[in-house]
Amino acid sequence: MDGSHLSVVVDLSPSQWHLSSLQNQPYPLDLSSFISQLLAFLNAHIASRHENSLAVFGAFPGKSVLLYSSADPPTETPPSDANSFPAFRLVNSTIMHNIVQHLEALDDSSDEEAPSALVGALTKALCYINRLTLEFNASTANANATEGLEPLTLSDPRVLILSVSPDQTASYIPVMNSIFSAQKLKVTIDACQIYGSETVFLQQAAHLTGGSYIYLERRDALLQYLTMAFLPPPSIRQTISVPTQDKIDFRAACFCHKNIVDVGFVCSVCLSIFCQPVPVCSTCRTKFPIKTLQRLNAARPSLPLTSASQSRNPSVSSTPQKTNGRSSATPSRPVETPLGPGGLPHSGSINAHNINGAAHHGVQNGLGSSG
Amino acid sequence: MNVDSDSDISISDYEETENTVSRSKAKGKGKATDKRKKDKAKRKPKDVQAYTWEANFTRSWETVQEDEGGSLQGAVNDWVARGRRKRLLEPQNAIRRTIIRHMVLIVDLSTSMMDRDMRPTRFALTLQYAREFVLEWFDQNPLGQMAVVGMRAGVGERVCDMSGNPQDVLKSISDRHKLEPTGEPSLQNSIEMARNSMNHLPTHSSREILIIFGSLTTCDPGNIHDTLDQCVQNRIRISIVALAAEMKICRDLCDKTGGQFGVAMNEGHFKDLLFELVPPPAQRALPRSSNAGGGGPGGGGSSTNPASDLMVMGFPTRLPDTSPPSLCVCHSELRSKGFLCPRCLAKICDVPTDCDICGLMIVSSPHLARSYHHLFPVKPYAAVASFDAVADVSSSPSCHACSKPFPTTVSQNVADGMSAIGRYRCPDCNTDFCSDCDVFVHDVIHCCPGCGK
Repeated sequence: MDGSHLSVVVDLSPSQWHLSSLQNQPYPLDLSSFISQLLAFLNAHIASRHENSLAVFGAFPGKSVLLYSSADPPTETPPSDANSFPAFRLVNSTIMHNIVQHLEALDDSSDEEAPSALVGALTKALCYINRLTLEFNASTANANATEGLEPLTLSDPRVLILSVSPDQTASYIPVMNSIFSAQKLKVTIDACQIYGSETVFLQQAAHLTGGSYIYLERRDALLQYLTMAFLPPPSIRQTISVPTQDKIDFRAACFCHKNIVDVGFVCSVCLSIFCQPVPVCSTCRTKFPIKTLQRLNAARPSLPLTSASQSRNPSVSSTPQKTNGRSSATPSRPVETPLGPGGLPHSGSINAHNINGAAHHGVQNGLGSSG
Repeated sequence: MNVDSDSDISISDYEETENTVSRSKAKGKGKATDKRKKDKAKRKPKDVQAYTWEANFTRSWETVQEDEGGSLQGAVNDWVARGRRKRLLEPQNAIRRTIIRHMVLIVDLSTSMMDRDMRPTRFALTLQYAREFVLEWFDQNPLGQMAVVGMRAGVGERVCDMSGNPQDVLKSISDRHKLEPTGEPSLQNSIEMARNSMNHLPTHSSREILIIFGSLTTCDPGNIHDTLDQCVQNRIRISIVALAAEMKICRDLCDKTGGQFGVAMNEGHFKDLLFELVPPPAQRALPRSSNAGGGGPGGGGSSTNPASDLMVMGFPTRLPDTSPPSLCVCHSELRSKGFLCPRCLAKICDVPTDCDICGLMIVSSPHLARSYHHLFPVKPYAAVASFDAVADVSSSPSCHACSKPFPTTVSQNVADGMSAIGRYRCPDCNTDFCSDCDVFVHDVIHCCPGCGK
């Protein structure tokens, strides 16, 4: 097959976009200018080849919506305009219309905004690619069977995630499951974190599927990043140099408090991860030997410190949005994040917002506690 | 408990009849014999289908029914419906499974493998299926390790050492000229070899032996029942896929160690039997009591529950290929890529491993995450029977996941468990999906696009 398929997952969380547009940011970027740059990128994708197909999924707070797909285009076409190419105009007006419609329909009665449904949008994108693959196979299977060829699969399907939200640790397992299904479908996942802290899960997604992950530092240069890094399909990226990741964070989220941990306690039966020693596995109800618990507890720092760190944990996990919002309001903050009294090299001390500094803390703490 | 008492009786039975080993029918007395007869009677109806060499020439294409339009859609739908019903029957709650697995694959390389009752030969087919099995096994058991042993010319031959890398294992069984079958097989020699290579493993991991056995004889230096008892003591689970016919000793090996035994009737059944062993085995509910009852003293080696433990694991940071080179702790070589131990920041070349400096077990978290879909399966979707159940057809004209438009007419002659209007509904988020997405969500993604769980 000639054309390449691109599914774009756009994170449309109003509160995050509001934070991103504040003037005290180094490079403020608001939603409208983001959308105009995005549309330019989408038009470039359509224009680069006639057979290219496109689908756009929006992740709104609490729901995910298909904004545009080239497989079933909208029935009513917008009035033609002498100054615009009809194909572009169709894409642009459909996407704009859908975004506005769903943003207005958002329920803003409650104070807290639901986290954006990035997982739902990602799984929908994968289902959509699966549907295209099935349809494509059905249409070509007969032709290939007569020639004795293997049924082809779609060439180069890929998903581009444009995210502004921090990691939702509750969705760790669904994200990992979608990554593995993307591997099975041979889908490349590209990720671009436009605003906020680095996301561990998107880094892993891009790494495991062979895509590229970019943390946007110059937000005013968004379109340039998009066209230089994400426009070429994966088959061409062998020959051009696409920015790669600096380091990949392989940390996981624990099942008990949904913290992101670097050293965890793992049940040997079902491999559930916990951030502190637990007597009974919450997933498979396995009871752990007392001896192990005593040994592990003894290896952890003394009691006042653990209680302090434990009391910190729930507050962090219950309001991840706020913590990240506050910390990312000053993203250039130096790495000496207060470690608190429980300065463990363990999970509790490392929040989602100081990923960059985590290595340094690890050094200090590792030396401090061992020496 | 039933299993335990059964095995107790059979063990004593064996001490009596030890010298009648080679005979295929052991003559037990009294209760034990009755029990076995009952077992046999229970098993009989399963094996009704004729074996390959007994079957007539079948015209498999005639079983597929075309509909009046000459299309095969009906047959395909039946197939999908069967998969759906099977899924609905599966238990919903998470069962305990051992996920850190160690398996020794023993392949029969005796002359009987050159038989042509399976096309092209048993040997070629076995190698082909073994390769597919290894790939699938490592895909679903990423923390597992596998070794390969060949049974050839009366000895066990180590084909591949215990390895966590599927490529190593594949490479060792890819060259058929190195594995050319000769001589007699020896079950005891190869099981002993496998058992010795698994002795040192931690108790919380599973130890399994899978034997692909084509011969009807085994050529052993000693008493194979001693080997069997030792396997029971070491909690090694033996599963056998036989290609020829059922042998008493094979059935005993599997029954006493809690493994599965099957005789392949044809090529497809062979593959099914093999691939049944891919998902992690469900763990017995009370490993501790079964240890005390069946295995005898010294079964697990420790007084606490040996089957489960809480392990400390570290999730490393991966350094890129372009980072400045530094010395690694495992080879003391200058390398640029590697992983950093999260506790002591030592640089390690490969994961999973134990940190050489602080002893922390270091795994890549995606390795763990690969098995999570066993723990949190997606609820099966309910087939929507008619348009009455759809509240508002206009608000959901297309599949919630892939946006494929739903059919607007009620189709006739639907199979049991299928929806006449092509809609399948998630019980949690009450959104409708098409049948393709139903299959895809449950088999591949393991995450409902509507509720994101």
